Amino acid sequence: MTTLRIAGGTVYDPANGVDGAVRDICIQDGTIVATLPKNAPKLDATGMVVMPGGIDIHAHVAASSVNTARRLVPEQHDADPARAPDLALDEDGELVIPRSGSGGTVPSVFTTGYRYAGLGYTTVFDAAVAPITARDTHAQLDDTPIVDAGCFILLGNDAYLLRQLAAGATDRIQDYVAWMLGATRGYAVKIVNPGGVELWKENVREVKTLDDPVGGEAKVTPRAILEALTTAANALKLPHPVHIHCNNLGIPGNVATTLDSMRTVAGQRAHFTHVQFHSYAGERGKSWASGAKQIAEYLAQHPETTCDVGQVMFGPACTITADGALEYLLHTSNGGKWVNVDIELETGCGIVPFNYKDKSAVNALQWVVGLELFLLSPDPWRVVLSTDHPNGATFQSYPELIHLLMDRAYRDEKLKAINQKFLVGSALADGIAREYTLGEIAIITRAGPARILGLTQKGHLGVGADADITVYTTDADRTKMFATPRYVVKGGTLVVEEGQLRRAPTGQRHGVRPGYDTLIERDVKDFFDRYLTVAFENYAV
Amino acid sequence: MADGTIEHTTCLGCGCACDDIAVVTRGGQIVEARNACPLGVDWFGKGTIPARIRSGDGPRDADLASAIAAAAARLRSASRPLVYLAADLSCESQRAAIAVADMLHALLDTLTGTTASAGILAAQRRGRASASLGEIRNRADIVLFWGTDPATRYPRYTSRYAPEPAGLYLPKGRAGRTVIAVDIGTDRGPADADVRVTVAPADEITALALIRAALLGRALPSPGADTLDARTSALADRLRAGHYVAIVADAEASEGRDVRRSDGLLSLAEALNGPTRCALSTLRAGGNRSGADAMLTAQTGYPMAVDFARGVPRYRPNAGAAQLLAGGAIDVALLVGSAHSVPPALRGPLGKIPCVAIGPRASESPIPTAVAIDTGVAGIHEGGTAFRLDDIPLPLRPALAPPNDTVLVLRALAAAIAAEARAA
Repeated sequence: MTTLRIAGGTVYDPANGVDGAVRDICIQDGTIVATLPKNAPKLDATGMVVMPGGIDIHAHVAASSVNTARRLVPEQHDADPARAPDLALDEDGELVIPRSGSGGTVPSVFTTGYRYAGLGYTTVFDAAVAPITARDTHAQLDDTPIVDAGCFILLGNDAYLLRQLAAGATDRIQDYVAWMLGATRGYAVKIVNPGGVELWKENVREVKTLDDPVGGEAKVTPRAILEALTTAANALKLPHPVHIHCNNLGIPGNVATTLDSMRTVAGQRAHFTHVQFHSYAGERGKSWASGAKQIAEYLAQHPETTCDVGQVMFGPACTITADGALEYLLHTSNGGKWVNVDIELETGCGIVPFNYKDKSAVNALQWVVGLELFLLSPDPWRVVLSTDHPNGATFQSYPELIHLLMDRAYRDEKLKAINQKFLVGSALADGIAREYTLGEIAIITRAGPARILGLTQKGHLGVGADADITVYTTDADRTKMFATPRYVVKGGTLVVEEGQLRRAPTGQRHGVRPGYDTLIERDVKDFFDRYLTVAFENYAV
Repeated sequence: MADGTIEHTTCLGCGCACDDIAVVTRGGQIVEARNACPLGVDWFGKGTIPARIRSGDGPRDADLASAIAAAAARLRSASRPLVYLAADLSCESQRAAIAVADMLHALLDTLTGTTASAGILAAQRRGRASASLGEIRNRADIVLFWGTDPATRYPRYTSRYAPEPAGLYLPKGRAGRTVIAVDIGTDRGPADADVRVTVAPADEITALALIRAALLGRALPSPGADTLDARTSALADRLRAGHYVAIVADAEASEGRDVRRSDGLLSLAEALNGPTRCALSTLRAGGNRSGADAMLTAQTGYPMAVDFARGVPRYRPNAGAAQLLAGGAIDVALLVGSAHSVPPALRGPLGKIPCVAIGPRASESPIPTAVAIDTGVAGIHEGGTAFRLDDIPLPLRPALAPPNDTVLVLRALAAAIAAEARAA
């Protein structure tokens, strides 16, 4: 029996209504318990801040597309070599080989796990996995130590689904989705640019409205895809129903598309991801402006709708998405290297390394829009933190992002230095006094993502919760404070001790296996046998 | 394993990784590999492999534990060890071998470093427009074979992927596609191509540049009849008119071809994505080579030629196994996978240093070994995962049992090295 008492810390556990109270957290065998004997091992956290472990609701860490991006940026790895951590000997004698690696915007797998844990994050979801490559994702996650993980499965441009819509066979879709999630060991349904990826393969590069026909079929539209998958995911009662990357990412004026998408599925649980990239007013080819306020107003009226922000931070990033058309556009605009992979009858993949500059008018607006979404947010439980790692910035910029949210003076100073061209009329430029509290930070990085993901064991410190805990030394410099937790406990194991990574246990995998009518397998197999190049029997992980 | 038939087996005879093979075994031997091409039939063979463990010069076989201890001692004492990943390893074995290289602060390299590095380096400079093979099968109405005919080295490429099969958007199959062969000297495209363009080997790079220039509207005005300009300009027009163009090239092309063609092909594919859609499909040889690239990338950030000498991975594409072995810098090697797949240029220098071989037929290695542990061939005797040439992961379904399991041997080796390090 392993026990540990984290004693005397100032605890932020918003899910249980604890906002900065001094109390002990007791851990037994990986779970939080009510009490421990007085002589149980103790960690003195007096004067320190105690929160549940961080949860990244949306990152790209282990998809095949991520590995393709990793291969594309050797120069970043050269600049950021990562030594193997100095791990303590494992008590149960199991050999854990500490591994070296490389960082940059797309770190190697072991380094990814170590660095997340080093930031106090203990759960991470890969947000975009092409079903046919899921086997690779699970292998990469097997080599991503410490963190619990799961993955979202890309649907919404898959030929089988589109054919069902065309045929009006919507009754089959729920069974298909259930089968697919089980076959790929996925956690949730991810929709990227519904219909738009298939259109890109057909050399149609723009989705004008949600009612554009896909493949010449009037019944197959972005709207129909959104409706069908959201309905199916909600009917299946998935812990995280549907994770939506809207059409027209990065295009001025796209806030209209985003609001239309939100209205399309209004009344059902749905999560809209990296909304910063989808909240621009203005007009294509003419002007850019912030549309954050419109999104915030919508969210205030719709408690069933959640989102993560996808904040942009200035500096190097690597854009990786299934949205191939967008990446081609980005490539033609920045002239940098570009990868595209069309993935058979399922989805796509585009990659462009990118550097966000504060002197760039568009990048400055993106930074502002993200912050506005946070600061105008009616409810931190439903507008949670992400940078769409590594698209808007890497996960290692989370501490600085937290600093921007918590410290108005720091934020205003940064705001002054950026390109002001598109900031006229922006709420942030006009001055927003709001500063996030530590309790609110605990919501947008822990409790909120856990609730949105349906992870009942995570994101809180109540009895029965997984013992994933981060202890920070209080520091007015919030960047410093959140970049270097003093202690991190993962599943009851003390992984970070005095700021040093000392243990690297294997994380758990989160997946769902909803039930379905097995008749669907026959139909899917028939489709596979005719068109896919991988045997149906070899598809499931 | 009992007699029987294993359906849906993945063949790693070449990078096509056809996963529709039915392998029939009787009396511990493979008697049939149904659906396999001649190359695949040859790769499966009977599946009979030696099961020996050799350590030192004695006439008798060693036991596994002492062979592993001897291997660990050899590798630990090296000042500049090499870990070389040859063919016929599952991704799981590759991952285990990379861990050993990391522990040893070794140079880590693979067959890719020797045979297919040009394309990888070019793609790291420029990026790459590509597609999984099924997309090409279902969508490509123009298939351009650039100086390659898959018939000999990738026999089922044309029947499984393109141009033969019917696709979702190409119900007529071959009849609905245009096949273009670009012959580069003796590297000729398929015999049944609809269009054939001849380019002298010395003109290959120029031809690629000219096609691209024509696509970008920068062709020379009114070229003379049957000049290279005229031929490439006409080819550009054909490609531009395609709905979805697949360009097929051999990443492991015969020696002597200009390495700059990789840049040229990538640029061409990229340029075609202006007016239409295009994917470059590069052919890779067998034994899970793409898997090695992917596993190295995931674990180190680099797809080949990774030097751990300074305790962190460093990319050394110009100072990989071939160069360091030739220069005499390596003093001990761990060779994992089929020793018979090691390129001839590396065999000589490997023979001059103590070599620990873990892989199928290690005991019959053409390279002299200090320790040899026979394991199975991934896909025949060992399970796990392998990557198709387009990085699609596939499960392996072994029909026979291995003499020793590569992953387990490598994990035991890692544990022995760690134990020695701790004791020291």
